[in-house]
Formats: sequence, C-alpha cells, structure tokens
Amino acid sequence: MTPPAGSLLSADQLRKAYGPTLALDGAEFSIHPGEVVAVMGPSGSGKSTLLHCLAGIVPPDSGTITYNGRELSAMSDAQRSALRRSDFGFVFQFGQLVPELTCVENVALPLRLNGTSRKEAERAALSWMERLEVDDLRKKRPGEVSGGQGQRVAVARSLVTNPRVLFADEPTGALDSLNGERVMELLTDAARSTNAAVVLVTHEARVAAYSDREIVVRDGKSRDMERVV
Amino acid sequence: MNVRQWAADLMLGVRFAFTGGREGWTRAVLTAVGVGLGVALLLLTTALPNALTVRHDREAARSDITFAIQPMPKANDTLVIADVDEDFRDKQVRGRAMEPEGPRAPLPPGVDEFPAVGEMVVSPALKELLDSDSGALLGERLPYRIVGTISEEGLIGSAELAYYRGAEGLAEHITPGNVERIDRFGDPEPVEEQSDPVLILLILVVFVVLLMPVAVFIAAAVRFGGERRDRRLAALRLVGSDSRMTRRIAAGEAMAGAILGLLFGAGFFMVGRQLAGSAEVYRISVFPSYLNPSPALALLVAVAVPAAAVLVTLFALRGVVIEPLGVVRAGRPARRRLWWRLLLPLAGLAMLYPMIGNGRDNGDFNQYLVTGGVVLLLVGVTALLPWIVESVVARLGSGGVAWQLAVRRLQLSSGTAARMVNGIAVAVAGAIALQMLFAGVDDDYTKSTGQDVSWAQMEAILPSGVPLDRAAEKFRDTKGVKAVFAYSESWLGDRPQDPDNGTTLTVGDCAALREIARLPSCAEGDVFVVHGAEWDGEEDVTKLAAPGRKLYVDPSYEGGPERPAVPWTMPEGVKAAKPRTGLLAGIDRGGFLMTREAMPDAFAPALDGHAYLRLDESVPDVHDLVRNTTAAIDPLADAMTWASTERTDRFDAIRTGLFVGAACVLALIGASLLVSQLEQLRERKKLLSALVAFGTRRRTLSLSVLWQTAIPIVLGLLLASVVGLTLGTVLLKMTGTPVGVDWTGVLAMTGIGAGVVLVVTLCSLPPLLRLMRPEGLRTE
Repeated sequence: MTPPAGSLLSADQLRKAYGPTLALDGAEFSIHPGEVVAVMGPSGSGKSTLLHCLAGIVPPDSGTITYNGRELSAMSDAQRSALRRSDFGFVFQFGQLVPELTCVENVALPLRLNGTSRKEAERAALSWMERLEVDDLRKKRPGEVSGGQGQRVAVARSLVTNPRVLFADEPTGALDSLNGERVMELLTDAARSTNAAVVLVTHEARVAAYSDREIVVRDGKSRDMERVV
Repeated sequence: MNVRQWAADLMLGVRFAFTGGREGWTRAVLTAVGVGLGVALLLLTTALPNALTVRHDREAARSDITFAIQPMPKANDTLVIADVDEDFRDKQVRGRAMEPEGPRAPLPPGVDEFPAVGEMVVSPALKELLDSDSGALLGERLPYRIVGTISEEGLIGSAELAYYRGAEGLAEHITPGNVERIDRFGDPEPVEEQSDPVLILLILVVFVVLLMPVAVFIAAAVRFGGERRDRRLAALRLVGSDSRMTRRIAAGEAMAGAILGLLFGAGFFMVGRQLAGSAEVYRISVFPSYLNPSPALALLVAVAVPAAAVLVTLFALRGVVIEPLGVVRAGRPARRRLWWRLLLPLAGLAMLYPMIGNGRDNGDFNQYLVTGGVVLLLVGVTALLPWIVESVVARLGSGGVAWQLAVRRLQLSSGTAARMVNGIAVAVAGAIALQMLFAGVDDDYTKSTGQDVSWAQMEAILPSGVPLDRAAEKFRDTKGVKAVFAYSESWLGDRPQDPDNGTTLTVGDCAALREIARLPSCAEGDVFVVHGAEWDGEEDVTKLAAPGRKLYVDPSYEGGPERPAVPWTMPEGVKAAKPRTGLLAGIDRGGFLMTREAMPDAFAPALDGHAYLRLDESVPDVHDLVRNTTAAIDPLADAMTWASTERTDRFDAIRTGLFVGAACVLALIGASLLVSQLEQLRERKKLLSALVAFGTRRRTLSLSVLWQTAIPIVLGLLLASVVGLTLGTVLLKMTGTPVGVDWTGVLAMTGIGAGVVLVVTLCSLPPLLRLMRPEGLRTE
C-alpha cells in the first residue's frame, strides 16, 4: 500500500509478537512533518511496541514502515542506527540519562556519536539546555537533579540533533502534573519551532491534549481518533 | 537492643537473600557460587598437607631399594627385587622385578600375590595405557601377561604408572641400588629430611601469595548484587526499620549468601575431590581419599568465611546512607587518604626487615614475621589501588565517546573498578616476587649433569655378561639412532681385594676410544694409559702402567660383595694418551683404554656395558624406540635420556605447586571478574538499550567496556609490579642472594594478568551485545 500523501513516517499492517503474546496485530500509522500525534491506549495494548517499530528499534514481524520514501525494513541494522542518530530523537519515561556523564555531556552525546567535536557539541547542547531552562544544571550529574529537571535534560538531548521525528515514550509518566505540563509545553514548542514531527506515547488524556491528532491502540490494532471525532 | 531483635533482623536478612523470585535466587546463587569457589579452594589448601603426608607415607611403605652395602643372606622370608623403572615419552613408569626366595617372602603393598615369571601386576593407569593404542610402544617393552592390579595402598597417585613382574635368576645380579635382597618393604631406618630454610620460606610465601587473592575474591563475591540490595534496604526504611536494623538485615543477607556459599564450597570440593582422582597436573596425581581437609582448618574456614562476609558488608555500607526514599552515598565521597594506605606495606616491610641478610646458614626464618610481612605488603596493594585509581582517573582528559563513557564511569565509582582488579593485582604482585625469588635461588637447586647433549642424547647401561658388540649392532639398527659409541667398563686395582691404588678400565674400538681420549695412533690390539685426567692421580696411573705389573679387574672391597677379580699383567708398549672431555658426561676418562683385541676373554664377565647414542630427535618416539631396543637386549638394562641440568625434586615440587595454584587462582579471579562484570551490565540493561535506541554504535559501547576494565587493570598491574619487585628484592636479600630482576618473568606475570582481563572482557561481550538489544526497553 502506498503511504498517505505528504506523510513523513507511515506504517501499514504491522504485526509483532513476543513469543505467544501478540503486541501488534495489523496496526497502521502516519505522521506529517511538524505534526504531533499522540498514541494512546491502556497498559499492554502495544503502543510502546508501535513506537519502537516506527523508530526502527524493533523490526516488525510483518508489515511495512516507510520513512521519507524509504522502507525501514529494507535497511540494515547499521543503516537504521545511523538514521536514528541523524533523523530521530528519543525521550523515555525515566530519561535514561547516562549517570556518569554531566547533564551537558548527556545532551551533547548524540552529536558526539555523529562525529561532532566535543566543543561544538557542547555549545549546541548548552543552547538547547537554555531553551529548556536547564542550562544551570550543565555541570551536574543526573543523580544530582530532580526528576522534572532530568526529563527536560532528556528532551534537550532528543532535540540537539534537530531530528525530523521525535519519539516520546511516556515522557511525563514519572513526573507530577505541574512538572509534566511544563515538560510537554517545552517539548511541543521546541518541536514545532523546528518543524519536527512528534510521536507521543501516553495513556494520559491531559498529555495527549498537546497533540494535533490521537491514535488509539488496543489489542495491537490502531484507530485514528481524528476521523471518528 | 536485645539478642532476639538481633536474631530477628539477621533472619529477615537471611529470608531476603532467598526471596524476590528468580532475580533473588539468581543473586543468591551467584554469591554462593562465588563464595563456594573460594571455599573449595581454601578446603583444597587445607587438605594438601594431608595429601602430601599420605603420598609420603605410601612411598615410604613400599620402599625397597635401600642401597644396602651388606648383602642379606638368602632365607625363606627374602625376596630379590630389581629396579626396572622405565620411561615412556615424558612419563615415568615405576617398575620392579621380583623373585621370592621362600614362602614367607614379603609382598609389596597393594599386591595380593607374587606374579609368576612372564606375568605382571599393574597400576590401573598403566593398564589403561597398555590397553590403548598409544601404549603399544610401551607394550613391546612389557610383554608380560597382566594378572592383577596394584591397589590404592601400593600407589602414590591415581595416575601413577607402575608394575611388579615376576623374574628369575635375579640373585646373580645383586648390586646395591639396583638389585637387592630384602625381607620387608618400607625403610626400617627412615632418615628425616633436613628442612632447608629457603625452601620453607618459599613454601610459606607460595601459600600466602595463593591464598591472599582467594580472600580478596571472597570479599568481592559477597558484594555481588550490592546496588539492588541497597534499594531493597531503602524500601525497608520506608516501612519503618531504622538504619541499624537495615545494617543488621544486610549482614544477615550477606551471612546467608556466605553460608550457602559454604555449602556450595563443600559440594564443589567433594566434586573436585572425585575429579582429582582422574586428573594429573604436572605429573602429580592423587587419590580422592588423600584429600581430607584437616578438621581444625576446615572449621576455621567455616567460621571465618561467614564472619568475613558480614564484616565486608558492614564495611561496604560505611559510606552509604539508606534513606526511606532511596540510597544516597554520604554526600560526595570523601577523598581517599594515602597515609594509612601506605602504612600497610610499610608495616609489612618493617616485619621483613629484621630477617634481611639471614641467608640459608643462620637457621629458619621466623614464620610469623614472614607470613605477616608478606600479607601486609599484599594487603597494601588492595589498600593502595583504590587511591591510585581514583587519583589517576580524576586527571584523565577527554577523548572519544567510548573513552568518555568509560572515564566518567570510573570517576563516579573508582572503588568498584579497583575492587574488580584487586584480586588480579595481588596475585600478580605475589607471583612477580616469587618469580624473582625462584630465579634468584634457581642456581642453588639446579646442578649441571655434565652431560653434553650435543654429543649424545641417550645412554644405555648394560649389565655384565651382555655381549656389547651385539648390543651396539641392535642400537645401530634402531630407527632414529645416528651413531653408537659402545664401551665396556670396569675397575682395575693393584690387589684382588681392598687395593691401595686403582683406576678405570675402558674397552672399545678405536673410533669409540677416540671420542674419549686424544690417541697418538690406534690399531686393534693397542692399550693406552691416559695421563692428566681430572679424577686420576697422575702418579698412581704411571706406577700402574709399568710393564709386567700385575693388576686385577673388578677387585672387591671390605664390606662389599665378594667378586672373582681377574688378574692381568701389564703388557709392553702401552701408549700414552691425553684425556678428552665430551662424550662421557663431562668426565675426563683416565686410567687404561683397551681395544677389543687387547682384552682377554676372561675380563668379559667383569665388565659392564655402556652405549652412548647420538639420535635423530626428529624421528617420532625415538627415545622409546631406543628404550624398547634396550629392554630387548636385556630386561635389566637401563636406558637414560640425557639432560644438561637436573634440579632438586623438592624445589621442582614447590615450583610446580606454585604454577598449579596460580592457574587455579587466576581462573577463580577471572570467574569473579566475569560475574561482577555481567552483574554491572545487567544493572545497566535499560540504559544500554536506550543508548542503542538513539543510535549509539555497539562498537562504541563495547569499546567503552574495554576501556573501563583496561584502565584500572593497567594501574593495578603497574602497582603490582612495583610491590612485587619490592617484595622480591626483600625476599632475595633475606636469603642472601644477589638481587636481580627477571624482566621476562615480570612481563610474563603481568601479561598473564592482563590476559585474564582481556579474556573476561571478551567473554562479557556476547552478553553485552544481547543486553544492548532494543527489547531491553520493554517494560511490560
């Protein structure tokens, strides 16, 4: 099936099983540049698996994923890794910052992996940290900052390479509502300012409210809520 | 605080050690396996003295050839026994030919009845060898029917190759040290071996050096799963336990792991004990029954290991504050101080200092000071290493991503890294010191045999009465023999009994005689007198060479067996010759040389044959082919392989013990390193998956793991080299030996240490790659 016109990333008939458990069962998805799409659903419905498949982290058992006209399943692991370094950004529920590195080193890490020099990477990192209001934490290690601050550092890290798609898996799941909202505001503002698409996995309606469109995943199948509404 | 509360807390800890589902069990089993391996090695060490005693007792109980000067008369309780030891490839085969002379002749230990002529009883290992294809060559030399097996009490090890065969006519060949008449087995007057202070020192240091890393290893093993345990303790604080209670609970957990480890250790030891029965290491084998730990030492292990586990855990929790909402390190950890760390090795040196210059001749070394000094010096390595690692990694600059990840991790927890390599560093430091000591005193225990292996590589000794020409011919026909120099030898005296003057008589053809002396000319029928040999007084030989002088071949001496000395009158025209060093094991052959034609026939029974063989050593099994020819010539003939040097058995045994022990210890430490490495990786599973998710190359992460291990190990090995060289120097000064550094040994030991780390890192790569799979991100 051809991807929807103008879509940056799309998926068709995705199936993925972990042993006897079927995580995705014919799921579909598409997202346009600059669009924020929330993937919602109860625990265990397959929404994180969908995100992992879309990002090329986990290969689906069947179905196609197309990014910018290229089919992900036709790429080698190394090519998909390179794509994740250059075009994608990630935010996870618990930040997953490297505890040994300082905050600025954590934010600079994706750029350094791409071969950018340390100085230049840290300069870019600092500018993103300023935008996310955590530049004062640059010399601190993740263990020395609060959960909300750490998550903002993680958002800065995900945006530092100017990704075309940002994948956020329960980015506010470990935060209180105040901190969660602030992180979402900063994340969506920053993404929109760079025209990055955001795939936002969440089960919280107030988080999903920051999206342009919602997709509900249940029992491995996806439904586009925009069309229903 | 009452005892009940203490007990309740400890028991709660014990329960925590085994609960928590698969994860909990895995952690408990990992700890127990680690502690168990250490305990098994400790139990083995406590069993070694007993094993050595049993071997020694069994060896003494079967001793037969006692070099008795006074021959024993034949009786109905006597046995004539001949030493017919063999060599097969690089193994020794203990062989005895026996001829009972009456119904009450003594049976050797482990043998139920005397084998008849043409029969033999063999050890189980020899039977197995003879039954196998590889034993066929040996089978040619032992063409006797196997009629029984030597039981355990007649053997000193499960892999010992030994046999007793029946024989006849042995009494004619009785010679002290070779064929003797006995009425019992076992040495009636055992001589207590004098202990050499330097050998005792070596044994002490070997024990300390091998056991220290085991102790360090056990200390590391009880800390497996530490981070997870801290989180569990925090949860306990949340539900109301105070900080002292949590420490007691932690102690209970550690104790449970250690006690389970003791059980595992006992199990490993029992399995190892059984396996030991089928293993042979450096030519030493034992029966499982030999390996019984001394009860007192075993009890000490049983008490010390859990106690050490508890102490180590409490020590590890020193800098940790367990709060209800999590575990925090006590602020920024205090910078490690150098002064008290330096005190340990300095105290060790101070304990050894009084014994410097003691040497071999000033009595034994004080065992407590030696042990204490070496222990403190080696403990100094474990104390200094964390400080060195911390100080160095704090100064390490930036580099690539892999380097940065590794350095930052080391900066954050340099103690963990130092702990990981402590065991290796201690083992290497000890091994370097011992290597130096061994190299230094090696000359004292290594003697030159005088055998020049460039002239000949084997020597066959043929009993008197064996025709030498025919024997030489058979050797020439043997595959791989390039040249044969055959001589008949005996002793000439100026009287048939107790001569005042005497010298050697050597008979051979001209070509053979030219190999041992510089002859002016040589023709069949010539006789030569050799002047200027190292062991012959020139004056005596000259006197003996006077024409017409009557001499006696094979004279007998008071106290020795009576011999039928053959008279010989010195002929006219004896030519003068000069000695030549070379073929005869470095000995200048003096006395009289005689060509075959000049030798009267009556001499033949009084002469022993010697054949020196030059071999083509590229021919497979050439030594055994020669041995087979020798056995075919005469069953009592003996073939020896030449070596340029020989070493004291005990020195070799200690050296062997060190290598065996070091191999076990390094394998153990390698296993511990691998376990803790895997544990650290498992703790970081999610983070590793996240790093891969945003595109980190697997190579980068693998390299960072390598750096993370390599940096502390390089520092550890440098420190180990310094401490090892210091300890080696002190030990050499104590033994009064000139100090010299065996750099090859130092490099080899550090290389082995580095090799263990490299192997561990390589082994941890497959699980690392597995952990980096994106599936690690799944939480549901």
